[in-house]
Amino acid sequence: MMSEMKTAAYLCSGCGLGDKLDMASLSKVAQKAGKMAIVREHPFLCSEEGVKLIHDEIEKESVTHAVIAACSRRSKTEAFSFPETALSRVNLREGVIWVVAEGHEEIRQEMAEDYVRMGCAEVKKMKLPRGNPESGKEKNILVVGGGLSGLTSALEAAETGYKVVLVEKETRLGGWASKIWKRVPFSSPYNDPQNTGILELISKVSAHKNIEIHVNSAILETSGAPGKFVVRIGKAEGTETEVKIGAIIQATGFSSYDISKLPELGGGLPHVVDQAGLEQLAIKAEGKPIAREDGKPIRSVAFVQCAGQRDESHLPYCSGHCCATSIKQAMYFKDAHPEVDTVIIYTDLRTPGMGEDFYRSAQEKGVIFTKGKVSSVENAGEGCRLKFRDLILDEESTIEADLVVLATGQVPNSGVNIELPEERNQVSVLNLSYRQGKDMPQLKYGFMDSHFICFPYETRRTGIYAAGPVRRPMDMLQATEDATGAALKAIQAVENASLGRAAHPRSGDLSFPTVRLEGCTQCKRCTVECPFGAIDEDEKRFPLFNESRCRRCGTCMGACPVRVISFENYSIDTVGSQIKAVDMPDEFSEKPRILILACENDAYPALDMAGMKNRCYSAFARIIPVRCLGSVNTIWITDALNSGYDGVMMMGCKHGDNYQCHFVKGSELANYRMGKMDDTLKQLGLETERVTTVEVAITDHEKVAAFINDYAETIRIIGMSPMKGFG
Amino acid sequence: MSYRNDFLKEVEENVEEGEWVKMCMQCGVCAGSCPFGPHWEHSPQKIFMMIRAGERIQVLSSDSMWMCTSCYNCIVRCPRKLPITHIMHGLANYAHRLGLAPKGQPTRVFAKTFWDNLVKTGRVNELKLTLSHYFRDGFIQGIRNALAMKDIGLGMMKARRINPMELFGGHGLQDLEGFHAIVAKAREIEDRKKGLKNG
Amino acid sequence: MASIATNQTILVVGGGISGMTAALEAAECGRQVILVERNTSLGGRTAQLYRYFPKMCHPTCGLEINLRRMKANRNLKVLTLAEIRSVSGKRGDYTVKIRLSPRYVNEKCTACGECARAVETEIPNPHDYGLGKIKAAYLPHAMAYPLRYVIDPSIIATEDGQRAKKACKYDAVDLEMKEELVEMKFGSVIWATGWKPYDASKIQPYGYDRYDNVITSIEFERLADPHGPTGGKLLRPSDGAEAKNIAFIQCAGSRDENHLRHCSRICCMASLKQSQYVSEKGESKSTIYYIDIRAIDRFEDFYRKVQEDPQVSFVKSKVANIQLDEKTGELILKGVDTEGYHRYEARHDLVVLAIGMEPESLGIPLPEDIITDSSGFMEGSKDLGQFGAGAASSPLDVNRSAQSATAAALRAIQSIYRTSSAEGGQ
Repeated sequence: MMSEMKTAAYLCSGCGLGDKLDMASLSKVAQKAGKMAIVREHPFLCSEEGVKLIHDEIEKESVTHAVIAACSRRSKTEAFSFPETALSRVNLREGVIWVVAEGHEEIRQEMAEDYVRMGCAEVKKMKLPRGNPESGKEKNILVVGGGLSGLTSALEAAETGYKVVLVEKETRLGGWASKIWKRVPFSSPYNDPQNTGILELISKVSAHKNIEIHVNSAILETSGAPGKFVVRIGKAEGTETEVKIGAIIQATGFSSYDISKLPELGGGLPHVVDQAGLEQLAIKAEGKPIAREDGKPIRSVAFVQCAGQRDESHLPYCSGHCCATSIKQAMYFKDAHPEVDTVIIYTDLRTPGMGEDFYRSAQEKGVIFTKGKVSSVENAGEGCRLKFRDLILDEESTIEADLVVLATGQVPNSGVNIELPEERNQVSVLNLSYRQGKDMPQLKYGFMDSHFICFPYETRRTGIYAAGPVRRPMDMLQATEDATGAALKAIQAVENASLGRAAHPRSGDLSFPTVRLEGCTQCKRCTVECPFGAIDEDEKRFPLFNESRCRRCGTCMGACPVRVISFENYSIDTVGSQIKAVDMPDEFSEKPRILILACENDAYPALDMAGMKNRCYSAFARIIPVRCLGSVNTIWITDALNSGYDGVMMMGCKHGDNYQCHFVKGSELANYRMGKMDDTLKQLGLETERVTTVEVAITDHEKVAAFINDYAETIRIIGMSPMKGFG
Repeated sequence: MSYRNDFLKEVEENVEEGEWVKMCMQCGVCAGSCPFGPHWEHSPQKIFMMIRAGERIQVLSSDSMWMCTSCYNCIVRCPRKLPITHIMHGLANYAHRLGLAPKGQPTRVFAKTFWDNLVKTGRVNELKLTLSHYFRDGFIQGIRNALAMKDIGLGMMKARRINPMELFGGHGLQDLEGFHAIVAKAREIEDRKKGLKNG
Repeated sequence: MASIATNQTILVVGGGISGMTAALEAAECGRQVILVERNTSLGGRTAQLYRYFPKMCHPTCGLEINLRRMKANRNLKVLTLAEIRSVSGKRGDYTVKIRLSPRYVNEKCTACGECARAVETEIPNPHDYGLGKIKAAYLPHAMAYPLRYVIDPSIIATEDGQRAKKACKYDAVDLEMKEELVEMKFGSVIWATGWKPYDASKIQPYGYDRYDNVITSIEFERLADPHGPTGGKLLRPSDGAEAKNIAFIQCAGSRDENHLRHCSRICCMASLKQSQYVSEKGESKSTIYYIDIRAIDRFEDFYRKVQEDPQVSFVKSKVANIQLDEKTGELILKGVDTEGYHRYEARHDLVVLAIGMEPESLGIPLPEDIITDSSGFMEGSKDLGQFGAGAASSPLDVNRSAQSATAAALRAIQSIYRTSSAEGGQ
């Protein structure tokens, strides 16, 4: 393969590049230092004619590896799209002429020449990614959980032509939705409780030719990867079935917060129920006036909102649906018998969107709303006495009611929390045979939500999606939407996996990691650090890469101390060779070289925007975009220092609780690894300032320039690296 | 105190527009919009909450609804479109009929004076109305009041808004009996509408 | 152009976060998609936000990822400055007329910026809701996609237009460009037309149309944004002084039968977020006037955090009216704190109205069989071939919009699958 490599460099002199840079000299650099077989200069490379030039040479001259030295890799992507050619983009516009202040012609030219050297060095180490040949072609979708969310996901996927295997642990389908009398309306008019429709949904799912149903069953084991999961399903009776699955939707729903943990609110008293308890009474009443468990007709009922919710000693979060649910339940009483006194005690009434119409409708029906904080519920006479602080009238108040309903919260049925020691844990849902644990990582409070606002379905297990209240507390309408969206993601996952393509956020990426096992020392760092649990260990304790679980962030590559992991087009060498390609001035030149490894997701766009907004920064910087700071291998840094760089700066996303790393842990891991860098620096006899990490957000165009300039100043103060000339 | 809906139901049945009380969502824009806000004890939205809380006596003996000058700011701004002005008048009227309204409340006293003046002849006798209002606290105070307001009084006379001759009888309706019958009938209809036997 | 779309193609109307999400999710399932955006670039309202609640992260961060997905996907075509004129036909066979307005800059544009330097005329910057100015030849914003300049129609026939043309070395400025009407076939349509802020000047007591220092929450986003007209400084419009005592008025238009009947869902969280922009500026204070704080689900964490912030206070009150102190430019907010009944007359140097959302589609000619609710939010078409997505379908935050758009993508794919399998295709 390597012998067939034919290289070419295309230099654009448009957009002022030709005015500000010595193009002839750049061409020479590409030819001599870059060793490019073909070097072309064009005044307007992204024009039809320029693109055709490249295209024709790829065709006629069999160019396999091309360098385009023009604008940023983020610009003109449609013009410079040559899918059959390994491509390196050299950023002379946003990265050089737009950011170097006037009056620095010499160092600007040096910067540009270095970037050309780097691009040529990189491209020669690249291979065109061909996609994973071992990709799984299985397209069946497994849905775990047969409640409203699971049934919806199953039906939606089946109606789109995909086969579905539905697993439910109980003997009947339907979940919570089959245990309630009516639901909150989904569409206008938002006036009255509606039939749940769950029986129709169950019968549609049961009759569907694309859906195979396993009730009274659990997942015994899930192994494999998207496109080729193997799932063992066990029936309570002991029989076992094995199915081949492409993607998984976990819709295991929620449990109601245990009312007995709320004794101060009367949890445990005979006439105090939770919302689920009231549904049971309502089902029994069948639309007639609701009676208590003991048969006594209810003439007064009080609803306590946020019972054990928004409360750090119970559930710190709001379950979102409970205000509307209590409103609906109060309507049960009012609709059957308007004389029943119904009071809803709340602190913030939360009925977003059209829920406001539902709230109004309840008021019209005579449901009373009181802003208050309940302090106690006790037995009194034949019912309960509820004490509360009326927050509007600013006084202590009491209600006597035949029944008290506590609006308790949703607790997700998420299975094992893989971050906790095993003994403290519940029963696993998916029983993943993954090295990193049996279930999906949880985000917070047990919910398996995405951390990304823009990407609600992102989980840390590729091809496995959470839907419904196990993902986030939600009402039935949201759960229906959520389940429909999750069905799409599952379909997308099987389609991507079958083509060997990456899932979000590097969607469509055909590169995948390969490992040279002969060099592996079995240190397990890659298997432990992969944010997506993509890497298992085989019987001989070597890492076992499951490419279709991989998101191609390169965290494994960054972690590997012996550098045996690489991608076709992104490797220790593609970056390492760029670092080494820079022409290093001597110690007395007063021209320091600062290596900047910038996250391509946020920092690199910020640097581009600094260019677009003419925020100038030091021309001593040499910037290399990386897939994620997590992919930064410390060898790059030691190599850089050894070859005489005066400083190395890493720019990555925010880490910590509100991390912004698209690969979850990349920037955090980088930070952790760099924390250990100080020792290395000391060993080399270097100042610790020579390596630094900064957090950069995509909007920080102003800050990135300041970071670089401040760092250049720091380097000026501490002086040039003593390592020059030894590399 | 109990949170029974009894008083709310009583208000809904007996007070003009009382069925709107339950629709309030306690935003307080009425309270903030009322030009008399600083002068009364309970804001409209608080009155509505008190009704829901069953605070019957406190509500009906409150002077708040008597302070309403019908500026309609609250109605215009209420996000739930409650006819607050009408409810306030309705509550005042109801409290008055039950004899629970605050005794010396000036608006109430004036309203009573106005009504008595009107019913007597079927027309409002501005002069007599003015005088009986000025002299409500005795003769000396009446003179003081009249002197304090004399410029306005003279101005009104000039503009023919008040005729001094009205002091001597003044003119009334031709069919006074018929008018009284109308008033009686109106009350009867209102009472029937509200399910009251006699106010 | 017409040939690229078939009855297997999905049309997505609107290029904001919902439209981009719907289009990408469908395209990444291998379906053909055409995304039509009325404005000059993609991103919609989210591109005009500074940060997102509750993570305080930057919308452009997700935009960057979405744009990269888009650039990498060959199933997806984007048309900007394109408006839907009509949709006819039925599920599986829609004929859509699209009006393409001239950008006066063709695809040769390299975004070098020479035209902007040559042009003298300035126009109110639409990206900043007109709070700042921009040259009449402009790049909509730094993250604009397509990354191409626009010439404002106002200078086409002027010398400035000629200057722009002359400045472009690449023949990218085309002053002769004309409006076009194209017709295409689609199998399914996703309406992701988003939302617009309620007209604040209709809320008479708050004086948005009379007082410079009463602004809307979306305008406040532009003030806070370092890419915005003040470079990220919270300067009040009347005199450019730094605002240090800011009022946030909730339910500005929402939950109000005189204005919008519905709750716009996002505004509480938006104000909580914006209070943090204020707190980050040192000593500055925020006061949030609210009816109910609707911080649903894990957002409660964020609410709790803001409650603990000593620089932020909460008043349960719908502000009754605002008056201007002409001497100081301060605004006097009058109202009653209904928790225990406390009257206030509070002075603030800037007032931010947490403005309600209404469907942008209120101004768009929708096909007849689209079902909408009482506020105009879209449920979809009766023939189950057209779907609402994101804030076009309900007042939703970004996360729920993306969720809704993903669901809409599935429905569109499903609709096409059903039609083709009914035709014997599968």
